[in-house]
Amino acid sequence: MRLAWTRYSTATGYALLEHLRNRLALVLVVFFVPIWITLVYLVINDAEVTFFLRASGRNITVDGNDVTKISGAINAVTLIVGFMMFIVTYRSAEFDERLAMAGYPRGHLLAAKLTSLITAAALICAYATAIICCYWVPARPALLWLALFGAALAFGGIGVMLGALLRGELEGMFLIIMLSIIDMGLQNPVANPASDNGIVRFLPSYGTMQSGVTAGFLHTTPALHLLLGPLWFLATVTIAGITFRLRTRDRRRHIPFLGAL
Amino acid sequence: MIPARIATHPIPRQASDTSTHPIPHVSDPPTLRNRDRMPPSAPTLHVGDLHKSYGDHHVLRGVELEVPPGRLVGVVGENGSGKSTLLRILAGRLTPDRGTVSFPGSLGYCPQHTVLNPAFTVDQHLRFFQVAYGLPDLERAHELLDILNFAAYRRHRVATLSGGTRQKLNLTLALMHDPPLLLLDEPYQGFDWDTYERFWDLAATLRDQGRSVLVISHIAFDTARFDQLWRLDGGLLATGANTAGADITGVRTAD
Repeated sequence: MRLAWTRYSTATGYALLEHLRNRLALVLVVFFVPIWITLVYLVINDAEVTFFLRASGRNITVDGNDVTKISGAINAVTLIVGFMMFIVTYRSAEFDERLAMAGYPRGHLLAAKLTSLITAAALICAYATAIICCYWVPARPALLWLALFGAALAFGGIGVMLGALLRGELEGMFLIIMLSIIDMGLQNPVANPASDNGIVRFLPSYGTMQSGVTAGFLHTTPALHLLLGPLWFLATVTIAGITFRLRTRDRRRHIPFLGAL
Repeated sequence: MIPARIATHPIPRQASDTSTHPIPHVSDPPTLRNRDRMPPSAPTLHVGDLHKSYGDHHVLRGVELEVPPGRLVGVVGENGSGKSTLLRILAGRLTPDRGTVSFPGSLGYCPQHTVLNPAFTVDQHLRFFQVAYGLPDLERAHELLDILNFAAYRRHRVATLSGGTRQKLNLTLALMHDPPLLLLDEPYQGFDWDTYERFWDLAATLRDQGRSVLVISHIAFDTARFDQLWRLDGGLLATGANTAGADITGVRTAD
């Protein structure tokens, strides 16, 4: 038990250290999130928009500026967390493989990476929620944080998955940016009057947009929609874990004794 | 700690420089330098009928290889001859099309290019691999830092280290758990001459302690360092090659 804790805590400490050494990501967190939300507050028209909110099962009419602050915050946290997790996973892929081949349990390495993801996502979403609250107080701020957290988990998982699968840094960055743009471009009712189209249900941030808008304007709890982000997270990290396991398998044949590197 | 040797050569040259040192023929008669002290035991590494192709390009065509305990052996070959492919298969990092690889214990693998994390310091790398290998302490790792002469960089992040110092750490991570079998793929790339000599002293010491050391090389200078040398050519190993006694560097390794 003590050995397992040592392995987990050591790997987690280093996973968090990697994030702290990623200065670009820290700069993005500190500046990109408030700049994006502030620009939405200053620029986007506050005319009312009416759209069908599946999480509540009815049409709602809300302030266009406020709902865009929610979609802007989702856009910011998904981009940053997705970028952070992709870069860390991609750049340490060979190193992690070497550690695993040296005997470091893969489960501990993956658990450490996910712990750092969850920690970073929780803090960044709390920061984004606090900035939104500077301009507008949502109906349920804590629920809005939880909704944002789901989107951050989903894109963090996608970042880990792409980092494990891809062998080009540019491809991964491009995919995360494009996915986030498509995701929010289609779901924001101000940008897309047909945002209630059934296709948007298959987007990674669908659950967050539904639960985020609910948290902003209603007093209900869309439990199922809150679970969609974590579901994306579980699916993507499972793919990442399988990829990592396959990459670090011992490829020799007919080996009577297994050794470590 | 192995004392540093004074280089008689005027240049601190890059160990990977082959431009003026073509690979020699390796068909000299076998006169094993260390034959007398070799323990008569089972091979540490046994490789049988190893095949590997990339599309139509047959890199390995039935490689056979045995490395007994306490032997420092080398595999030489031209660029693209399949040396690194062979070592990656031996280390379990690449799947062979056919053939067997076996060894009765742990091994240390030093890849040709450095596999490190630029965000961590040297000490943090050592701590991470201490946990991976399950070592009670870092005494051996610190000893290797002294031998390879980079203990002063323990608190430096890898991103700030020179290529040679990174390679020293790359090598240290492969040796720090003191495995019975070492697979080293041109482990001295970027070393200055003094460290290059220290590396060979270290390799000889490990051999004398009963470890099996297989080094991939394409440097003519190295050939005199080995107890046994193979040349990888046309996907096959030419066996029986040995250059013991023909110390072309003018500096004997520790034995």
